[in-house]
Amino acid sequence: MAEARITYHGVGKRYGKLWALRKVECAFHAGEVVMLIGPNASGKTTLIKSLLGLVSPTEGHITVDGQVIGSDPAYRRSIGYMPQISQFPATLTIGQLLEMMADIRELRADEVEDSLVEELGLSAQLDKRLSTLSGGTKQKVSAVLALRSRPSILVMDEPTAGLDPVSSKRVLQRAAAVRDTGGTVLITSHLMEEVEALADRVAYLEDGNLKFLLPVQEILSSTGCTRLSEALPRMLERSTLEAV
Amino acid sequence: MLKVFKYTLIDLARNRFVLGYALLMLLVAQGLFVLEGDPTKALLSLVQVVMALVPLIALVFTVVYMYDTLEFTQLLAVQPIRRSAILGGQLLALAAALLLAQAIGLGLPLLVHSPTVAALVLSLSGSVLVLVFAALGALIALKQREKARGVGVALAIWFLFVLVYDALLMWGMFTLSDYPIEPFVVPLAGINPIDLARIMVMLQVDLAAMMGYSGAIYKNFFGSVGGTFAAALILALWVAVPVLFAFRVFRQKDL
Repeated sequence: MAEARITYHGVGKRYGKLWALRKVECAFHAGEVVMLIGPNASGKTTLIKSLLGLVSPTEGHITVDGQVIGSDPAYRRSIGYMPQISQFPATLTIGQLLEMMADIRELRADEVEDSLVEELGLSAQLDKRLSTLSGGTKQKVSAVLALRSRPSILVMDEPTAGLDPVSSKRVLQRAAAVRDTGGTVLITSHLMEEVEALADRVAYLEDGNLKFLLPVQEILSSTGCTRLSEALPRMLERSTLEAV
Repeated sequence: MLKVFKYTLIDLARNRFVLGYALLMLLVAQGLFVLEGDPTKALLSLVQVVMALVPLIALVFTVVYMYDTLEFTQLLAVQPIRRSAILGGQLLALAAALLLAQAIGLGLPLLVHSPTVAALVLSLSGSVLVLVFAALGALIALKQREKARGVGVALAIWFLFVLVYDALLMWGMFTLSDYPIEPFVVPLAGINPIDLARIMVMLQVDLAAMMGYSGAIYKNFFGSVGGTFAAALILALWVAVPVLFAFRVFRQKDL
């Protein structure tokens, strides 16, 4: 197994009386794509947000490349994030936004990966104001922002939601490329068929608990299915029966 | 921080609300100077408008802007920069945009029609009120999760400072006018930044005498060098305290 890049050490997060995450222990490695799945309010987004520093764990801690993440934001230099909802400053243009983010990340020209701008058909729209863009185009901008700095850790929250099939495929190909160059990719998605070809492991969360984190092959072989979308319901059904 | 400031300001410079604010102030100020004929009378009318409108606009605009840009703030917060740099840049840009709009809408007519010390003090007082209420707006937006609730709290605070507080103060002064309440009147007026700003302008147009008993008390205290210094210090605290709390809340906030 490759080295662990991201490790959750007993991470729990409580909002008021509700535990959104409960003592999560897991590690994500270099060169793998992990698909995070689970019902609504299962803790997927909190798991991601605690890695990104958007949410502070109530208990436990997270390490990235062996360093405990805290108030120092430097570790986020290696992270690219594509959120589920893309909302940008209304009157800025796409070009200005890309420039702003490169400026904030202090990227040199040779560090910027701009081919996705062309691939997703955004080149001709760089002067368009962000407020005039459709939801799908905003998602494309979001994908470009996530991948432009050549991140070695890529976090995508429902990346294909709102994207056309061709753009979805291109964005997922880029995610695969991050994995192939030794990066770590975490993806949450409800569209299993789209992401299953990409995933190396699957993490299943329910009520804030990490129920399992298993290689795709192991899930398929243990259920006798050929598709993840068929295997997962069967596996969950089985674990429910075992619990009864 | 300067990078966040720069791009937030570029965004705000084309914001319709900010442009509308500049235009509204310009129309009101210009209209008052033209209609009143006498620059001093126009200035006095303008004082009332500025003391009511500026806090309302600064509060509500800051609250709404902070809520509307929450998702983008999240995106900034996952970049390798500190949260203090994000909030600092955003607050500076908000203040700069509102001050610029006010300089055009209020400053220009004052410069043209009434280039006096009183006009300068009005302009400065209006600017300080922008800073005070933008700071309060930021704190409200960070403390309240829901936009509607945040706007509601902002309106309630504006109502409290503009109407309720003065009404209570006046009622207290009339009720207790037979007692030596002078030592309490000045600090009580000083608690409300709008009152404080209004007093500073009124002293410049020498209308404190028309304000009766309370005017005499204010003139005694705020008319002195020490009083002016105290007023400036209180207004500075009205800016600094909410800003410091806002930074503290934002640093610990789950986004």
